[in-house]
Amino acid sequence: MKRQFDHPAPSERELNGPRYWRSLDELAATPGFRAYLEREFPEEASRLDGVDRRQFFKLMAASFALGGIGLAGCRRPEAYVLPYGKSMEEVKDGLPLYFATAMPLRRAAIPLVAETYQGRPTKLEGNPSYQPHGGASSLIAQASLLDLYDPDRATTHLKDGAALTAAALNDLLAAVGKKYAEGRGAGLAFLAESSSSPTRAALVARLRESLPAAVWAEYEPVIDEPPVEAARIAFGRDVKPVYRLAAARRVVSLDSDFLQTGPAALADARNFARGRRVASPAGADRMNRLYVAESGLTITGAMADHRLRIASSHVPALAAALAGRVLGTDAYAPLAAGLDVKPEWIAECAADLLAHRGGSLVLAGAHQPVAVHALAYLMNAALGNIGRTVDFVAAEPAGAATIQQLAAVIKAGSVKTLFILGGNPAYNAPADLDWMALQKSVPEVIRYGYYVDETSALAGVHIAATHYLESWGDARTADGTIVPVQPMILPLFDGMNELSLLTHVLGDAVTDPYTLVYHTITGLTGGDPEKTFRRFLYDGLLEGTAYPPVGGLSPRADAAAAILAAAPRKPVVGAQSLEVRFAADYKTDDGRFANNGWLQECPDPITRLTWDNAILISPRLAGELNILPPLSGVLPVARDEAADWINGREQAHVGVVKLGGRTVRGPLQIQPGLSNYTIILPLGYGRTRSGRVGTGAGFNASAVRTGGTMHVATGATIEIIPDERYTLANTQEHWSLEGRDLIREANVDEFKANPAFAAALGLEAHSPPYDPESAQRPLEEKATEIPRGNSLYTTPKFDGLHQWGMSIDLNTCIGCQACVIACQAENNIPIVGKDQVVRGREMHWIRIDRYYSDGRIATGAFGGADNRSIPEDPQVSLEPMACQQCELAPCEMVCPVNATVHDNEGLNVMAYNRCVGTRYCANNCPYKVRRFNYFDWNKHATDALYLGPLGHQQEMPELLKMVRNPEVTVRMRGVMEKCTYCVQRIENAKIQQKVKAAQAGNPGDVLVRDGAVRTACQQACPVEAIVFGNLLDPESAVRKAKAQPRDYAVLGYLNVRPRTTYLGKLRNPNPRMPDYAELPLSRRESNLKNHSAAETGRPESADRKPEGNHA
Amino acid sequence: MSHAEISTAPLPAVLEEVKPAVLPRPVLVGNNRSFSWITEKICGIIEGPTPTWWWVCFGVAVFVASFTVAGLTYLVGTGVGVWGHRNPVNWAWDIVNFVFWIGIGHAGTLISAILCLLRQKWRTSINRAAEAMTIFAVVCAGIFPLFHVGRVWMAWYLFPLPNSNGIWQNFRSPLEWDVFAVSTYGTVSVLFWYVGMIPDLGVLRDRFTAAGQRVRAFLYGLFAMGWRGSNRHWSNYEMAYLILAGIATPLVLSVHTIVSFDFAVSLIPGWHTTIFPPYFVAGAIYSGFGMVLTLMLPLRAVLKLEDLVTQYHIDNMCKITLATGSMVGYAYMMEFFIAWYGANPNESFTFINRAFGPYAWAYWTMVTCNVIVPQFFWFKGVRRNTALVWALSILVNVGMWMERFVIIGTSLARDFLPSSWGYYSPTVVEIFTFFGTFGVFSTLFLLFIRFLPMMPMAEIKAVTPQADAHAHH
Repeated sequence: MKRQFDHPAPSERELNGPRYWRSLDELAATPGFRAYLEREFPEEASRLDGVDRRQFFKLMAASFALGGIGLAGCRRPEAYVLPYGKSMEEVKDGLPLYFATAMPLRRAAIPLVAETYQGRPTKLEGNPSYQPHGGASSLIAQASLLDLYDPDRATTHLKDGAALTAAALNDLLAAVGKKYAEGRGAGLAFLAESSSSPTRAALVARLRESLPAAVWAEYEPVIDEPPVEAARIAFGRDVKPVYRLAAARRVVSLDSDFLQTGPAALADARNFARGRRVASPAGADRMNRLYVAESGLTITGAMADHRLRIASSHVPALAAALAGRVLGTDAYAPLAAGLDVKPEWIAECAADLLAHRGGSLVLAGAHQPVAVHALAYLMNAALGNIGRTVDFVAAEPAGAATIQQLAAVIKAGSVKTLFILGGNPAYNAPADLDWMALQKSVPEVIRYGYYVDETSALAGVHIAATHYLESWGDARTADGTIVPVQPMILPLFDGMNELSLLTHVLGDAVTDPYTLVYHTITGLTGGDPEKTFRRFLYDGLLEGTAYPPVGGLSPRADAAAAILAAAPRKPVVGAQSLEVRFAADYKTDDGRFANNGWLQECPDPITRLTWDNAILISPRLAGELNILPPLSGVLPVARDEAADWINGREQAHVGVVKLGGRTVRGPLQIQPGLSNYTIILPLGYGRTRSGRVGTGAGFNASAVRTGGTMHVATGATIEIIPDERYTLANTQEHWSLEGRDLIREANVDEFKANPAFAAALGLEAHSPPYDPESAQRPLEEKATEIPRGNSLYTTPKFDGLHQWGMSIDLNTCIGCQACVIACQAENNIPIVGKDQVVRGREMHWIRIDRYYSDGRIATGAFGGADNRSIPEDPQVSLEPMACQQCELAPCEMVCPVNATVHDNEGLNVMAYNRCVGTRYCANNCPYKVRRFNYFDWNKHATDALYLGPLGHQQEMPELLKMVRNPEVTVRMRGVMEKCTYCVQRIENAKIQQKVKAAQAGNPGDVLVRDGAVRTACQQACPVEAIVFGNLLDPESAVRKAKAQPRDYAVLGYLNVRPRTTYLGKLRNPNPRMPDYAELPLSRRESNLKNHSAAETGRPESADRKPEGNHA
Repeated sequence: MSHAEISTAPLPAVLEEVKPAVLPRPVLVGNNRSFSWITEKICGIIEGPTPTWWWVCFGVAVFVASFTVAGLTYLVGTGVGVWGHRNPVNWAWDIVNFVFWIGIGHAGTLISAILCLLRQKWRTSINRAAEAMTIFAVVCAGIFPLFHVGRVWMAWYLFPLPNSNGIWQNFRSPLEWDVFAVSTYGTVSVLFWYVGMIPDLGVLRDRFTAAGQRVRAFLYGLFAMGWRGSNRHWSNYEMAYLILAGIATPLVLSVHTIVSFDFAVSLIPGWHTTIFPPYFVAGAIYSGFGMVLTLMLPLRAVLKLEDLVTQYHIDNMCKITLATGSMVGYAYMMEFFIAWYGANPNESFTFINRAFGPYAWAYWTMVTCNVIVPQFFWFKGVRRNTALVWALSILVNVGMWMERFVIIGTSLARDFLPSSWGYYSPTVVEIFTFFGTFGVFSTLFLLFIRFLPMMPMAEIKAVTPQADAHAHH
């Protein structure tokens, strides 16, 4: 019911002046008033229960009089509580309202715009006012909406397991504050999450001022920002980098997954895509080239033109070797000694960087040691990149104690009261701290958290936190811009905001977060505070608050010595001493999103796993551990024989990782592209006390994670537990393209020589065209008029004013899965649970197919030995796949009841009410994008699906239903569904255009303008790979995309005429690199399979040896 | 049947005597049985006391049939998810079973109609049971497409009933064609069966009347529709029967042709092939005769019908099985050839994958049962070993079920996009539902042999030697 935006923000007078009620009932209903009555009139108040009418009225009259006179000035103003009794301006029933907000996460926030229906947020989009993101959002931001309606969230404050009222909690907090005020905070400690909120920073500063003896510690299990020490070593300044990737033409990533992780990932991905996008062969030379050296296979590595598999702990040596070349010095030779990488790789990479001075960029992964970052900074400085592709901005001093320091204080017994604000240290604190025991040893633990989780279980008091969509706050984005965290709805439960919590402890009079934020923001700017604040909320950001670049950086003279001193010794990595890389999960992050069903069910971009994490091991290691399946006598006709798939289910071996005397046990997945002796342990799973969704999913890698080696550790061993298998819910069974031309790729050189390479590939290039003049026809004619195979059947009439179409640029798609969750949120797509995913029934309307190729497919039709290996060093190809909206849709033809039909604007529409569920359409869909409701997913909990009518007791909680988009039908069991091109958005745009036209006095102008309709996937996409619009509009973006020579239709030879077409993928390898492949490996496989060996590219590419890790 | 021997000796200039070779007429009714023996034998099955074995079998059959009822109840109450279907295998045992049962139903009409038109007299002793089998098979077949849909309570949308939305059916969909093809086939089969039974029902009416069993006499009389066996009756009856045979004949070809269109009209590799109609019809007849053998051989032994179902009948059925089985084998080869010759990598992959992919076990079971097993019928010794013939006929049924599974399952499991490939396995629910249909079928068949004349008495009498006293002239 939050309607702050529709009403003027409270004036000074309203904040501090007399208070007016809209009705007496409103006042009478407030808990404070009732408590007041209890205190003032203990006897009379107890008769309020309505026995004595006369007494009641007397009492009320007296109370109101007193209330009106005496209380108005004391009450905190509830400026944002506006009842929805009467309709307000701008609210139109059934139409959504949009408000700016932001999702805070660690030290950065993602600016968002929330769509609300009658005060209920139903969808989050990126805030387009924030230029670096351009309206994009991430997988996690999209899914965070679901957490708001999580029925498992903490709904009441608890003290020793009993509910605590808000008033009692306030008293409790104030009492704590008062108690420690005398000792200036001695015995009091706080453990908080890191935050970018200026208001919180101000409160913390005040807290430290008034309680200087208290310990303020911050802990984040995942570090996503480079260490400030690196800049200190390199430049002698406290600065941190902000990348300008759009200008970078040569990018070298030293174990950095900058496209997906890190505070600026959205901006970086968007800018990287700008440098990657190629509109014409002439512009192909401007395309960037990405070198990635990494141990695991990340989203960034999947985009690499040259990818080097190397142990994370060997990256410092690589950085030193590269820096030696780039800087032209031998100073780093000791650090680079013993590096097992082909020298040409480093030499040519360095040469390429040097050839692009000022247009290149070297990035290092946040988890890498200080030395690597410092080397990267020095290289960027030497290459003249500072100010062009990277800026350095001032880094705020950390200030807070570490969890280790806090642990030491607790161990010393000097902490009497411990606040744990957010986080979940009992689950993910370093294992060597033995946090559970530490926490138990503190007499009073007050925990503030969104869930009653592992940490809360050991705390005396649990304070229910509010979601960011129901409380006021502020935050900074990665580049420093201040953004509002604006609530969309009153707290659904009796939650508390972190800012109020701190003010209560401080004993402040003003504890209302809105006022706090208001003062922070208006304090930062001059001018009319009211106007500033309204503008701030309207824009969703405070213009001009981005950190200014720090100029005049120059490398320290003694940088080399400092780096050599700081650099860790290169460890030996091998089968007996494995490297372990702890990585934040793409979905659950450090475990905080473990109870989010959308995220749990979203396939991991690389492993394609849902509902679990797995110990990722390289094929080489799997071979040495003897867990590659035995080669059977049957011919391997497809490349999947040597994987752990048994009857369509991934039956993973189970292994135990031993590291420093600790062990963790989990399923193993053999993952192509890993450094041979690095194992990846994704964090964020194995929650023991989460909700219905998160509990029991996966294993907790924190069990072997210790303070010194939070991200990379060495010396691990792994043991296979014989005869034990664990079922993993993997959504993609098969990883090979099988030599099929589904993803058409070329190197830039080939593209320049043959821009229409995509059209020359594929079966349609080998069959007579249905329409020989097709190439000459304009697109609108093709979409509406061309002959359709002389069929007897009448074909759809394409006489609509718009003809919708989509183009997906495979060259920029990074596979981040934001579109998948955006579609899920927009279209009310249910989750089905792990068991059903294992059964192959996931419901996502859009998926991102991920293929590996290593150029070694067996040539014979009946297969052969080459089909039996899992590639060690694959190229990755990604392809988003949703309903292609075929003009001659094969699904429509076979539906016996006409439930799926074509409209005159080219949409293949589903009439759910008409569908009886023969599933013939899904069978006949060549793209396999139709999804069937095998159960009443929307009615039953995922563990009650098989109970049928008996399971009605376990229906979906009401709360979860609130997340539904009212514009989209919720489908029942037995009907088919699929991507609709977000038809609800199309129809809304048409209505709006009609209204606009009528208002402008030109009712005939009903053509929707280009860009007025954005599908959910398009809107979320950070790399702008998806373009949607009207094919009849010659100026539309989609039309221009489809006019590109790289445009092709997947399975075009079927003559189904998909309206979604793809732009072929380009790779930009360096011909001088030792791992150069003249043809993309998927092309090489395709040629091997379908053409003569002569066309398979330079032979060197065939024996493309894995670089590094030769041991 | 057999041929005159051609003498190798030099022929004389003028034939001395025109002496047509005496074709040894096969004996269709053994032991020179009399008309009355035939009547007594066939009616005796109905009139005699219910044998213990019948009760045992009936009890077992009803119990097994309850599996289908339970399975379908659970299915409708819960959702299609209780079966093993998944993306991309959205059809599996449901449609496999449908095609399987429809295929079995083919022998009945083929024997009744086509052999009738071709004047194959040996059909007489087996056609009634085969027709009954057809009808019961169609009943079992109909269960699956009806219940496999997601919202069975909306299945009436498939029928062209007027509704307020004015939405018509999609007549381009092969599933819609199925609705008409199968219902037509079912209707005509029932009519044909019933019309053929009228004279025999008249006999039963008379016999029960004579025995004083009024209820039964009334019921048989009701269905005998006043049959009195007059010349006019016979004349009309035979004309009606002939016309129905004429109508039913194209249906034999059309039903399975249309069922095959479910696949052939789609664009999935492995389904999208023009060979399907003849291949499916041959397969259907193959499986139909397999089922007739499976049913008739035990009945012949239990009810002592060796004189009516003679070795000659068994020989003929084995030969048809051999012929159609070989056609099916030819089709398998041809599919491979076209897959290679068509030069479409998606098509060729599908067929290679069938034989060597994850479902190779199903493929080679199918080839063994459908191509190798019937080859045994080349040997007279095999055809004369009734127990062996029965065992082989069961393998024929297994093979044909596998064929449908291979076509449906393997094609869907691995089609165009490798990312979507998957492996289907059934759940207990669909296994039991299918298993139960054998109970449904058996229940109906047991009721049939207990209450209806399982052989057409009048027609058998017409093919006895006595009926044609002058045959030797």
